[in-house]
Amino acid sequence: MIAGPLLLLIIPLAMAGIVYILLRWMSVSALLAVGTALALGIAVITLPMDQPVHVWGGRQIAMGEVVTFFGRELVLEQSDRIAMAFLFLTAAGIFFLAWRVESHSLLLPMGLGLLSLLSGALLIRPLIYAALLIEIAAALSVFALQTEGGAPTRGGLRYLSFVTLALPGLLVTHWLLERYVLTPNDTRLLSTSAALLALSFALLLGVVPFHTWVSAVTGDSVPLAGAFVLTIGNGAVWFLLLDFLETYPWIRGHPRFESLTSAAGLAMVLVGGLLAPSQRRLGPLIGYAALVDSGAALIALGMNSRLGLTLALLSLLVRPFGLVLMSAGLSGLRVRSGGDDDFEALRGLGWRAPWSTAALVFGGLSAAGLPVSAGFTWRWALCRALAPSNPGTALLLLLAGLGVMIGVWRGLSALVMRPHSAEDRSVVPLGYPEGRVMAAVEAVAIVACVGVGLFPQTLAPLAARLAEAYTLFAP
Amino acid sequence: MPTLVDLLARVSFLAAMPATAGIFVTAVLLVVSRDWRLNVTTLTIQYFFVVLLLTRLIRLEVAAVKGLTGWMICMVFYLTERRVSVLEQSEATESTRTSRRRWRRWIISARASFCLLAGLLVSVAAYTAALRMPLPEVPTDITLACYLLAGLGLLLIGLSEAPVQVGLGLLTFLSGFDLFYVALEPSLAVAGLLGAVSFLIALATAYLRAAQIAIGGEMRGL
Repeated sequence: MIAGPLLLLIIPLAMAGIVYILLRWMSVSALLAVGTALALGIAVITLPMDQPVHVWGGRQIAMGEVVTFFGRELVLEQSDRIAMAFLFLTAAGIFFLAWRVESHSLLLPMGLGLLSLLSGALLIRPLIYAALLIEIAAALSVFALQTEGGAPTRGGLRYLSFVTLALPGLLVTHWLLERYVLTPNDTRLLSTSAALLALSFALLLGVVPFHTWVSAVTGDSVPLAGAFVLTIGNGAVWFLLLDFLETYPWIRGHPRFESLTSAAGLAMVLVGGLLAPSQRRLGPLIGYAALVDSGAALIALGMNSRLGLTLALLSLLVRPFGLVLMSAGLSGLRVRSGGDDDFEALRGLGWRAPWSTAALVFGGLSAAGLPVSAGFTWRWALCRALAPSNPGTALLLLLAGLGVMIGVWRGLSALVMRPHSAEDRSVVPLGYPEGRVMAAVEAVAIVACVGVGLFPQTLAPLAARLAEAYTLFAP
Repeated sequence: MPTLVDLLARVSFLAAMPATAGIFVTAVLLVVSRDWRLNVTTLTIQYFFVVLLLTRLIRLEVAAVKGLTGWMICMVFYLTERRVSVLEQSEATESTRTSRRRWRRWIISARASFCLLAGLLVSVAAYTAALRMPLPEVPTDITLACYLLAGLGLLLIGLSEAPVQVGLGLLTFLSGFDLFYVALEPSLAVAGLLGAVSFLIALATAYLRAAQIAIGGEMRGL
């Protein structure tokens, strides 16, 4: 019998090697990467947990089996299933877009390697090993973030630095809590662990003032690799945070949990909402949009209720539609502007890259949480939930979304500026200036984003099911 | 022929305040210096002192393996920087002249003075922290070494955005934490994973340094 959790670690890692070897044939390697991530995503959510499944040659796969790996337990729990499906399916989407947009980066093999490590982080017990695996994933992501032939990625280096600084807090917390079990009268141990955990997760999630890596990652790295870090990498950190809250219930019962989480979220929303409209480059703008989104999710978690948890989880499921779409658009535009994403360099480029421009705008709508986009589904629900008790925060959230949209609007005005020929007449190319396949790939992504916005019932029940898998804030 | 473990056992008399003093000197040198030869040598010596202190907390063999990981990291930095030197050899004559000048500048430059002062201030803070907030499960001299490594590593990360400097800072910071954490969690799996983290940081840093040189070469070619 083959243990399912082990396959979730080994298959992506093995495929990462194969994809790296085949990287010269971009379509083949992209197809393999998309196929692997898609197959694992579907398998993890559809295969039954309680009984083995027969596969080739009379072999059986048992998804629910607990495996011991180098003396540590790998456990696939109900909550991990949807979380892992989210990681794999989002990765499949990113690899699909990378096929046309980032054709020569290390994103495909490194992305598969990262998936293996992040899956390990969700499956492994005790949680200290998860922290170490996330750190290894951060070091590996530097290779994916680095632009081919570009200057060294400042964002990758900063991301690695912040994750490294977060590591000691997580590891020492585990030891402190073990000590607390032996000496329950020593409440100082709990206070120290709470402080260390808060600091570590603030570093990992990019809470103000530790947010500088977020805009740096989107500013000078491979855009889709940046989106990978901010959706899948950050998603794994969120699930790790929820695992901590689940394992140590006293954290959410701490008198300052609610106020601290809400204040951290509010600070992120404020800083992101204020800085987004003043950006003169698209890369950092995406970073600040991500900051607003993460801040709003923290505000939802700070509601300290089942509804808040569901909304925070829905935000994780919906985030890729905004950030990945914006990053795909940015990537397409950078190719045509010689790698520059300054508004000046992008003047009039929208006419030569209409699909990339559309991807950027629809992704921006979603990241800002505005109607007809995936992001609207959870942001509007959050505003409605906050309005009766906390109208100021709800208003601030709306304004921050507006701030992000102003930034996108400024970018769009530069992009659609009409180019002029020497004779001062408009020159707009006809047909498909970006190629039919590229247009089709980006159209599919845009339709998916709008589709989720129009039919929120596709993802909202999943978030509710995921929230039910946690005993946090259970009634 | 004596093994590495035998050699470590022979110099174990240094594994107290002398090793902490050695860590202080090497970490401050890393903060001040921008010369790659000096930095690689200093990092190698720093790992030696860290291993000496580790021998008081964990088994000699495990400490020796940690030391080997550290010295392999130094080898990664050495090979990367050596390659960089080869790439820059075309400008050898000019660089010989400038390197002499650079050496003189290094002694008196405002940057070096600032880095030295900042390093000394952080060291004083580390000393105060070691007296007022002793770390659990480790003796005072190791507490001081941990604070020095963590503090000066952080300073190194904050002072520069150059990949190698940040990498050295991260590794120094992690050495400080590792020195403390082995006393709390002596598990071999954790030790192995922390070693893997350090090695991957070194590889990522070397990769970014190579990218820096590649773009520098392209720009020179233009």
